[in-house]
Amino acid sequence: MHLDAGQQIGKDPWFITGIGILLLLGFLAVAGPFLVPHDPYDISFSPLRPPSADHWLGTNDGGMDILSELVFSLQNTVIFGVTAGMAGLVLGVVTGLFSAWAGGWTDQVLMRLADIVLAIPSVMVLILVAAFFQPSPVVLALALAGLAWPTTARGVRAQALTLKNSLHIKAAQRMGGSGRYIIARHLMPELFPLYLINFAAKTRMAVFMEASLAFLGLFDPGEKSLGLMISYALQYYYLDIWSNWLMPPIMLLSLLIMGATFVTISLEKNFDPRLRKTV
Amino acid sequence: MHTAAFTKKMLQNSLAGLKEKFFQVGNHGLAAMVLAVVFMVIHICVPGTALGSEIRIADSKGDWGYPNPFRHYPRGPGYVRMSWVFDTLVWKDKNGYIPALADTWSYDPNTKAFAFTLNPRAKWHDGRPLTAADVVFTIAYFKQHPYRWISTHALDRAEAVDDHTVVIYLAGPYAPFLSDIGGAMPVLPEHIWETVTDPFVFDDPSAFIGSGPYMFKDFNKTRGTYLFEAFPDYYQGVPKKERLVYVRSGKPMMSLITGQVDLANIRPDMAKPLREKELAVIENECGWNKKIMINHKKPPFDNPVFRRALAYAINRQEIIDKAHRGFATPASYGLLSIDHDMYNPDTPRYPWNPQKAENMIASFGWAKGPDGFFHKHGQVLEIELISSNLTVAGDRVADRDGEIIKKQLTDIGIRVHLRNQEQTTTDSRVKNWDFDLAISGHGGIAGDPRILSEMISPVYGAGSVNSARFDDSPELNRLLEAQMVEMDPARRKQIVFKIQELYADQMPAISLYYPDTMAAFNQDNGVTWFYTRGGISKGIPIPQNKMSLIR
Amino acid sequence: MRIWKKKWSTPVLVYLTAALLMAYASFRLPHLLPGDFVTAMYAGSDVTLNAEQEAELRAFYQNTDGFQGYLRNLATLDWGYSHAFMAPVSQLFLQALPWTLLLMGTAHVLSTLLGFVLGVEAAWRRGSLLEKAGVGIMTVLEGIPEICSGVLLLLVFALSFGWFPAAGAQMAYADHTFGQWLADVVHHLTLPLATLILAYLPGNFLLARAGMVMVLESWFVLTARAKGLPPVRVRYAHAARNALLPMVTRFGLRFAFMITGALVVETIFSYPGLGTLLFNAIAMRDLPLVQGIVLFSSIMVLVVNLGMEYVYHLLDPRVGHAS
Repeated sequence: MHLDAGQQIGKDPWFITGIGILLLLGFLAVAGPFLVPHDPYDISFSPLRPPSADHWLGTNDGGMDILSELVFSLQNTVIFGVTAGMAGLVLGVVTGLFSAWAGGWTDQVLMRLADIVLAIPSVMVLILVAAFFQPSPVVLALALAGLAWPTTARGVRAQALTLKNSLHIKAAQRMGGSGRYIIARHLMPELFPLYLINFAAKTRMAVFMEASLAFLGLFDPGEKSLGLMISYALQYYYLDIWSNWLMPPIMLLSLLIMGATFVTISLEKNFDPRLRKTV
Repeated sequence: MHTAAFTKKMLQNSLAGLKEKFFQVGNHGLAAMVLAVVFMVIHICVPGTALGSEIRIADSKGDWGYPNPFRHYPRGPGYVRMSWVFDTLVWKDKNGYIPALADTWSYDPNTKAFAFTLNPRAKWHDGRPLTAADVVFTIAYFKQHPYRWISTHALDRAEAVDDHTVVIYLAGPYAPFLSDIGGAMPVLPEHIWETVTDPFVFDDPSAFIGSGPYMFKDFNKTRGTYLFEAFPDYYQGVPKKERLVYVRSGKPMMSLITGQVDLANIRPDMAKPLREKELAVIENECGWNKKIMINHKKPPFDNPVFRRALAYAINRQEIIDKAHRGFATPASYGLLSIDHDMYNPDTPRYPWNPQKAENMIASFGWAKGPDGFFHKHGQVLEIELISSNLTVAGDRVADRDGEIIKKQLTDIGIRVHLRNQEQTTTDSRVKNWDFDLAISGHGGIAGDPRILSEMISPVYGAGSVNSARFDDSPELNRLLEAQMVEMDPARRKQIVFKIQELYADQMPAISLYYPDTMAAFNQDNGVTWFYTRGGISKGIPIPQNKMSLIR
Repeated sequence: MRIWKKKWSTPVLVYLTAALLMAYASFRLPHLLPGDFVTAMYAGSDVTLNAEQEAELRAFYQNTDGFQGYLRNLATLDWGYSHAFMAPVSQLFLQALPWTLLLMGTAHVLSTLLGFVLGVEAAWRRGSLLEKAGVGIMTVLEGIPEICSGVLLLLVFALSFGWFPAAGAQMAYADHTFGQWLADVVHHLTLPLATLILAYLPGNFLLARAGMVMVLESWFVLTARAKGLPPVRVRYAHAARNALLPMVTRFGLRFAFMITGALVVETIFSYPGLGTLLFNAIAMRDLPLVQGIVLFSSIMVLVVNLGMEYVYHLLDPRVGHAS
């Protein structure tokens, strides 16, 4: 069944486009910093210049090269997204599987904990964390993951419960397979597509969150981030900076989230057992 | 599955296929246009706004508390809102002190008392006459329920000689009296406040009965809007406009051009386009300075030589050119504004000289390592620089000052960790001496020189985050005390001159620059706004002086 | 599949516990913020405090009640008193709530209804060009965050064309008739609302469509069709009802995050509301107000979640006999 879906997804234009965009942006994020002509923190150029041969996108209010800033911002945003996505996924999967497997009180407690964490307005907590600890973006990403795991946990738990009651797991149990064995050998791998979906969705959410928080001024203003670039550029709305300063980060951020969206939707379509039929 | 879906599609589309296709493609191409048309229709349906006899002022933040002495925020814009409703004894305009509730005033050095003759036409908003008894009551009331904006400790008592003459006796000589009390203390109506025991929770409509040109009508806390209405019986004449409205707007230029507001603070580079649109642009004197706070209690900053080295290392012109595109003026190292009457032109200067700075630091035994940084006993010279975003009049605009200073200090061999922090976080770290260097700023430097005592001495400014709270120089301490009690302006000027010299020499904090402060207004409605000399009241650098709507 | 098979008393108890925990968190967390109200308020002030005045102010704003006192007050519906506004927190809340409800509520209701109808119709026309184009457009839109669409709408329709106000929720203190006032409010609401609908509609559309497609495949719709019922009735009375479930969940979740979710849009368009109120309260260290907003929004999430549980049971006949 998964093999089948795996083949099918390769033909899904959304998946191909999404992966294409993500690969391109990923390449930019990884290799870009080595390719751009200037150090994005270099303030030695004259500020608010229009595009030129030396500065393809001109310079910003601090006299920094916008193109270089853009590429470094993309890198930071991607790192934030992937970190938060990964950490959120691991937390969610572990909790979900454990909850499903253990059942009873453990399950109840973990799921109520999930409810409580879901109930915390995450932006609020991130604001507090950012203000109190002034952590690096990675720590903030982890904090975000700490707030974002419950949805994954719920999904994984629900799927795991169905699996747990399915014939082959029951059989494995009867044959004396230990809990750990069954989790490791059956539950974990069989839910793999679900992880992919969740990872893509969480990463998308984290990128979105990072941009929003940075835009709201909750990040270190000295950092490079797409949201921060938008927020800085928007302060100069009365100058002619739209095309070279404001639009590039907007386009890049949209592309990034779009890529993640395409992949998420395509994965859901192809792997989610309930949605499979809708392809 | 795939084939099934395909077949279904074929079936569904068999008849209307081509026609539908054409229609749909057109449809989706039009989607954006439809949206635009919908927007346009909504736009056209909206009624035009008849402004008539009113003034609208834009404010980026919106709420500054209720406009009465006990409920407004202790910041300039809060005070200004209150000042429409409550008049003071004297006031200021473009050139200096002018009569307000008091027609004339005089100081008698022998009795250490100020005598004020009140304007007999002055009335409260409820129609009762304002008398000397109200002034006496106000002082007594503020002694009991402190209003932080003024310091009543300098006052001994007040006496009403007759209905319109009041004498205020000082506890001792107090030089800033006119600025701090006469021109800042709102007079309260005795018949309302005499029964109020907790002024902070007193929110009856009568809490806003004053003697100023405008009556308070409404404050919407969520939308950050205020409504004032003209007080027709105002003793200095009927205000020019019937209504005065404050609105929240984060986009002053848009609001001005579209006519949604008549007056707004603007950023300097908006001046040119706004002038082209026939709006008047005014510029303030240098009344607000950005400065670097130094933790002078902690080595190596506890040594004035090191602090001076920092001053030499910082290229202020570069900060101005880069981060502010030239829209600022280098500040005097003596703290007082270069536009102040008591500014000392001979205040020591520290022109940018990185070589000299390096030599001075080297004199402490630091040596340049191969990494380009200073080392001593195997340790790198490392400092933390805290930066936060703040500008004149409470607006918050991110700037690049921190990044540029970091680069300049790095260039001479100091490893700098720049931390951009939220304002209150920075403030409380500075307050608790938990920092090395912090970029900060404050106004008041074109007002009464009392600001020197407050911003330098821990005696006056222990509770302030902007005060250097510098206690190392007994001579400076003595002068800061002396200028507060020197009633003779000429002699006070002498002292203030010396303070500036000593301060610039000791350098407990480094003044960087005065940002250009501008506002723009609509000149079609007969109101000419201006910046007050030395700032409104205690030195508020906002052009919303109530006299603009009176004379 | 179902999370709760037990009686209703269990979830209610669980939600009460969560509410209590949130009350504690809302009481404790804001205290972790560095700096306090006095520092925040007097830092940018023209008033310079001396040590004595500062200590006096600190004492004035000190909260000596502790958590038990806080709970006691909450029990009497006393949400505290805002330091900055000098007004009861509940009053501030009630002033801001209508704007948030107007903006976020309208956006959610519109995008849910619209998304539902469009999704159902798209699923019904599955395979057609219309459906494919719809899915395509919605998928692309789903990839555009509020920051981007909001900034673009602001730039084009407010700053460039000047068709819409760039800030605020209504023209303050204008002498409008009711009709004019309404038009004015709609005028101000258009751009922020459009931003939010652009952000929420695609997700709802895709969800509704996917759900509907699943339902359309199932036997009971086929039966309904076979009975010769007219298509509209089949769609909405029979099939769509089942596609509604995931949308209800989504609606609940999104709605519960209304306060913080609106922050970006409120900021871009200087629109008043709870998000802005919270943001300012944090900047000012107005702890009673921060606590009030955090607690209220958390309790709202819990209540909505509980309500969703109930609606779920009502809507989905299968849930009842799941065990």
